[in-house]
Amino acid sequence: MSEQHPPRRPYHTPLTGSWWLKHRYYRLYMLREATVLPLLFFCGCLIAGFYSLQQGETSWLNWLSFMAQPWVMALNALTLAASLFHAKTFFELFPRVMPLLPAPLMIAGQWLATLAVATLLLLLLGGLL
Amino acid sequence: MEKTVEKTLVIQRYNPEHDQTPSQQSYQVPFDNSTSVLDALLYIQQSLDPSLAFRWSCRMAICGSCSVMVNGIPKLGCKTFLREYSGDLLLEPLAHFATEKDLVSDMTLFLQHLQAVKPYLIRQEQSAATTPASKPQPHKQTPKQLAKYRKFSSCINCGLCYAACPQFGLNPEFLGPAALTLAQRYNLDSRDQGKAERMPQLNGKNGVWGCTFVGFCSDVCPKHLDPAAAVNQGKVASATDFVIGLFKP
Ligand code: FES
Repeated sequence: MSEQHPPRRPYHTPLTGSWWLKHRYYRLYMLREATVLPLLFFCGCLIAGFYSLQQGETSWLNWLSFMAQPWVMALNALTLAASLFHAKTFFELFPRVMPLLPAPLMIAGQWLATLAVATLLLLLLGGLL
Repeated sequence: MEKTVEKTLVIQRYNPEHDQTPSQQSYQVPFDNSTSVLDALLYIQQSLDPSLAFRWSCRMAICGSCSVMVNGIPKLGCKTFLREYSGDLLLEPLAHFATEKDLVSDMTLFLQHLQAVKPYLIRQEQSAATTPASKPQPHKQTPKQLAKYRKFSSCINCGLCYAACPQFGLNPEFLGPAALTLAQRYNLDSRDQGKAERMPQLNGKNGVWGCTFVGFCSDVCPKHLDPAAAVNQGKVASATDFVIGLFKP
């Protein structure tokens, strides 16, 4: 005696394009991924800088004055902030992927390395070394 | 303690026999400090509405069957307490899975993904049957070797990490946090020799590289396994596997 079961009819909830707005966690993730956008702008600036350097003095000076414009400075300040935020998230994730030392030590080490490289670059490019 | 205070539970209902889409239904549930979401569901089923469907078994965060969404966050019903919420509670079936009925999700995909990574010890040596003279030997393991995979071995297959993972939501073929963690757990086990059999799954387009380290899976894991770390350690293993493959004839 077998009872007749109605056929299964599982309901699929569609995932909408705005899924990432639903949680603070997802929004933070999207923010982390979005840090690449201002970085693209900075990379463009950098490439243009190298190109104008190769083109000669006038073009180099033009590039320098372009870089000094307030909106360019503002965008690049945003890039710096975004990159520092991305670095923070990356440095915190890294010890979980490669647990070589206790996490706080690895995080501190990465910040120290960043600071060292940044200082060295500043000294080198600033002509102090 | 006397239960005098009440809380409103809004529950997503879906009956495949006559509903086209899910709807919501509210219940008033008396509660005290020790009332879990699962207790509340049992109360509703026993005293208010016997038609409510949900899964549960152990009531102590071991079996992993009572997973639901509480206010949009994947939770174990038996490990989540009404006292933790100031307002109403919205209970829905696990996100990213199809709903069978009310709070019961269809976990078939999840189970298939678990199976796909061969989550068991694989030995390459001849089985004892072919060499009847030698008895099967126990495989020894030092505490240090155990420590390597131990933290990834306490998964209870509750599926919360899949409900937290947008990549699984977007691509149901993605093996997902629990399966990839389980693969890593066996790959790290000194007694196991099946890594070569698992790597094609991990390297594939639905393997570790489908993960973008959203990390929410680790946040919701009731056993604090850190599946996101395991999956991304799997990326290191996958990349190593690829480089080694380049030098093999
Ligand atoms: S009932 Fe077993 S984990 Fe909640």
